[in-house]
Amino acid sequence: MSTPAAQAPAADAIAARARGLTKAYGAGETAVLALDSVDVDIARGRFTAVMGPSGSGKSTLMHCLAGLDDVSAGQVWLGGTEITGLKERELTRLRRDRIGFMFQSFNLIPTLNAAENITLPMDIAGRRPDRKWVDQVIDTLGLRDRLGHRPAQLSGGQQQRVACARALASRPELIFADEPTGNLDSRAGLEVLGFLREAVDRLGQTVVMVTHDPSAAGHSDLVLFLADGRIVDRIEEPTAEAVLERMRRFSGGGDEGGGRDEGADGGSAGRGPAERDSSSASEED
Amino acid sequence: MLKATLRSFLAHKGRLLLSALAIVLSVAFVAGSLIFSDTVTRTFDRLFASTSADVTVEPKQDLKSSVPTGAVGTVPAALADRVAQVDGVAGAHADVSVQNIVVVDRHNESVGSTTGAPTIATDWYLTHRSAVRLTSGHVPRGAGQALLDADTADRKQVRIGDTLTVQAQPGTFRVEIVGIATFTTTNPGAALVFLDPAVAARELLGSPGRATSISVDAAGGVTDAELKGRIGAAIGTGTYDLKTADEQAKSSAADLGGFLDVIKYVMLGFAGIATLVGVFLIVNTFSMLIAQRTRELGLLRALGADRRQVRRSVLTEAVLLGLAGSTLGLGAGIGLAFGLIGLMSAIGMNLKATEMVIGWGTPVAAYAVGVGVTFVAAYLPARRAAAVSPMAALADAEIAGVGKPLRVRAVVGSAVGALGAAALAGCAAATRTAGAAALLGVGVVLTLIATVIAGPLLVRPVIRVLGGAFPALFGPVGRMSQRNALRNPRRTGATAAALMVGLALVGGMSVASASMSASFDQQIDKTLGADFVIQNGSFLPFTEEVTERVRGTEGVGLVVRQRFAPVAVRLPDGKRVTTTAAGYDPQVDQVAHVAYKGGDTAAALAAGSLGMDARFAEDHRVRLGTVLPVEFPGGRTADMKVGALSDQDGGSGFGTQGGLFFGIATVQKYVPGGQDSALYVNRTAGTSADRLRANLERTLAPFPQVQVRDQADYKKLVHDQISVLLYLVYALLGLAIVIAVLGVVNTLALSVVERTREIGLLRAIGLARRQLRRMIRLESVVIAVFGAVLGLALGLVWGVCTQRVLALQGMKALAVPWGTIVAVVIGSAVVGIVAALLPALRASRMNVLAAIAHE
Repeated sequence: MSTPAAQAPAADAIAARARGLTKAYGAGETAVLALDSVDVDIARGRFTAVMGPSGSGKSTLMHCLAGLDDVSAGQVWLGGTEITGLKERELTRLRRDRIGFMFQSFNLIPTLNAAENITLPMDIAGRRPDRKWVDQVIDTLGLRDRLGHRPAQLSGGQQQRVACARALASRPELIFADEPTGNLDSRAGLEVLGFLREAVDRLGQTVVMVTHDPSAAGHSDLVLFLADGRIVDRIEEPTAEAVLERMRRFSGGGDEGGGRDEGADGGSAGRGPAERDSSSASEED
Repeated sequence: MLKATLRSFLAHKGRLLLSALAIVLSVAFVAGSLIFSDTVTRTFDRLFASTSADVTVEPKQDLKSSVPTGAVGTVPAALADRVAQVDGVAGAHADVSVQNIVVVDRHNESVGSTTGAPTIATDWYLTHRSAVRLTSGHVPRGAGQALLDADTADRKQVRIGDTLTVQAQPGTFRVEIVGIATFTTTNPGAALVFLDPAVAARELLGSPGRATSISVDAAGGVTDAELKGRIGAAIGTGTYDLKTADEQAKSSAADLGGFLDVIKYVMLGFAGIATLVGVFLIVNTFSMLIAQRTRELGLLRALGADRRQVRRSVLTEAVLLGLAGSTLGLGAGIGLAFGLIGLMSAIGMNLKATEMVIGWGTPVAAYAVGVGVTFVAAYLPARRAAAVSPMAALADAEIAGVGKPLRVRAVVGSAVGALGAAALAGCAAATRTAGAAALLGVGVVLTLIATVIAGPLLVRPVIRVLGGAFPALFGPVGRMSQRNALRNPRRTGATAAALMVGLALVGGMSVASASMSASFDQQIDKTLGADFVIQNGSFLPFTEEVTERVRGTEGVGLVVRQRFAPVAVRLPDGKRVTTTAAGYDPQVDQVAHVAYKGGDTAAALAAGSLGMDARFAEDHRVRLGTVLPVEFPGGRTADMKVGALSDQDGGSGFGTQGGLFFGIATVQKYVPGGQDSALYVNRTAGTSADRLRANLERTLAPFPQVQVRDQADYKKLVHDQISVLLYLVYALLGLAIVIAVLGVVNTLALSVVERTREIGLLRAIGLARRQLRRMIRLESVVIAVFGAVLGLALGLVWGVCTQRVLALQGMKALAVPWGTIVAVVIGSAVVGIVAALLPALRASRMNVLAAIAHE
């Protein structure tokens, strides 16, 4: 696949970009399109949420952007590097050095303590961590007194905070969080979302979060809605209610070409109702 | 429930593969050895049953020596005529058949088998029972003609018309091969030379009037037993042994059996090791499968299955595995027996693979071993499975946990270990051989059990040390591999135990054998004063002619002969000890340094006197001057005075208990026709050692059965003898290692499955495939080295204790073969690397996304 330099995005503003990104499972008649020619730009220094019902392709999009999965067609760039077409070894290195990951569960190596888990990607790379930065991350996440603990000795929320710290510790170009609050109670979930928000606002990181929880998406700067492998909508500066409303429209009337009325929904409701709403949203899911 | 069990068995068949392989190996060795020995037994039973005369008359064999003396027992040839007179005898023939000969071709090479089967010279007397028939040439007529068996002729490329030299006790003679005789049945591997009956007795026994046995044909209607009774009544049973065809066949087969029993026991040893090590593998597999299926088992319990049903389901799975493994093992055993029979044929024993015997006992034993072992090994894991609470189905199973505390293991392990250590300490402090050996055995077994039980407890401290440098050397990969090895001490312990058992054995044996070698060296240095020893490599005696030739060699000053005699002595404490005594020429002091507690060489070698090991004498209340009744073969007896008590290390050796010795004249008097077993030679003044060696080697060129050895060669000969034992141990070790490797592969493979998500995560956050492989390899190495260190430590203790027991026998040197030990540790690291190859490859090939999503 040719990669004309002219087509490459402006590296400084865009952290990741996909053009014509298509991912199909199976072949021939039975082929299922998980991603159908998706074009997307992830802006640097922002908190982007990817939403959509199960099977909408949101996780596949993240995996393809992160170099975890290969694509059927299209191109993906991380910064100025086209990652489609990279060899396995180069992809591994890219993930190690330039991307941070948070998963829904099982984020930590059970044999390593919190401090070892946090610096693991850099240890693997044989790089010396930036001590000041790592200290700042640890303090921001309030993990100072947990560093010597093994994952089994930490609560679920603490484990996700350690995972968050690991994702941040190497100061990657892009952090992917796949349902980071999915396994947490609402208080711990809020805490983690707060940290991701802080990572963007105070530490200048770029975060892409996949979620199906509208209240989680409400913490982001931009929500992308996926359905049937396509980006069908987006909300800038969302609130939980706005997101929830939009989700209802998809599941209710399928009004896909929907209007561009972001922010029009009442932003008056506090966090409390949003959380209640989120539970009903996930039931719909 | 059975359906669920079957499903689960089939679903996990991949994971049970290595366990099945371990069962297959154990069963194959059990079945193979049984089939082989059954086949051999039947083949030779048939051979001897068909070739044995109805009744055989032999000289009485009252003292059987474990050290060959070269003497041949005979009966008068005329006895055949007397026997022929007995009512019911159809015919009697005086047989001449000797094994104390060497047959040499024109290249001065022996035509005999190299595997220990005898060379036999016999008279050509064809009956309906003969196992051979003439296939080319003509029968031997008169002196100077002989037949050779076809197998030997083929092997040594001897043709009709060639000349062979027969070195018989009465003298060496040359024969022309005039014909080839071929076995109609199985040739047990011996080399056979047939002579004209008219000259056989004279040339082989030195007298035409002697025979080695009389074979009798019964007339019609007389049973063998009946005839045996009649002949016994006629000629008396005081000086003759009479045997019916059945008895003769049995005793011939038993004579041959010694050699074949060794093979059988070696095979059973292999089976034992394979089974022992396999048990660890199976226990580990089932433990891991059950750990991985905790939620599934919990669900079964939640749905209403009771504990017994869960336990039974696991045990049913084990029995299925055992059945499958046994069936395959039985097949593999048949293959193994087939191979062994082929091997035997290759070294000259013509067994026929088509006549393989598979008795009913073989499959019974195979299934008993296969199913039994699997059942026993799966029992504990099955109990653990039954203990899974229904809540486990609901809980988020975190299988990385350490499991229950090891308190029970600690208590039981220390208790058994303390007993074992006490037994070993007792053995080291013991002063009597019998008690010490028993304590050693008990101590070895108990300490082994204790180490197996307590192994998991040692995992943490030992691996902390062993893998201590890993984080520094290999960074986070090293750290994770070390911690992974520590993760489940039970599993690591059981995996390493398989390797430990084998290496403990080897460690112990190598210390013991190195100590034996060192002790023999010391003894040889201390006692051997001769310039050269002339001896057969297997310590077989040789003909008089060798001695005469050596005496006549230029540069030979003194020759001291050694000759053995089987004896039985009745001791003052009432015990009758059957042993072998040595006879020496009077000048023995000039070729050996013997220390005495009382008396001297001259007193010991004087007529009517003997010398004895001082320690043996003390044990049996013998004093200097005690007169002992001594029995010799053929019913001869003598009262002999104890003239000297020797104070030698290793005074009594194998088969020469009591260290009895006397003058060679005594041997000649009571064991006529014996042969010398060793010649100690000193050079004359003015002859260099090299010169004398060259002279001796030239003189002895026609006698390939003996070699000239100086002190260094002699030591090497002894070392070689000990090495044979070691090779066997190494072969056992090899098998143990193969199975231990299977065990490590098994553990790693199942661990990799268990840690799928973790591996996926590591790969996602940037662990390269190479690093992942290294992580698994290092874990494997640390487990293997852990097993090696534990095993060698145990083996060293055993070895040192064994040496203490040997010291009571006079082998006082302790030698630890550090080279071997270091090599074994390095080797175990290599074993670890090899074992990790497949699991590491599998882990590195995992799809990252699938691994992360793995449940």
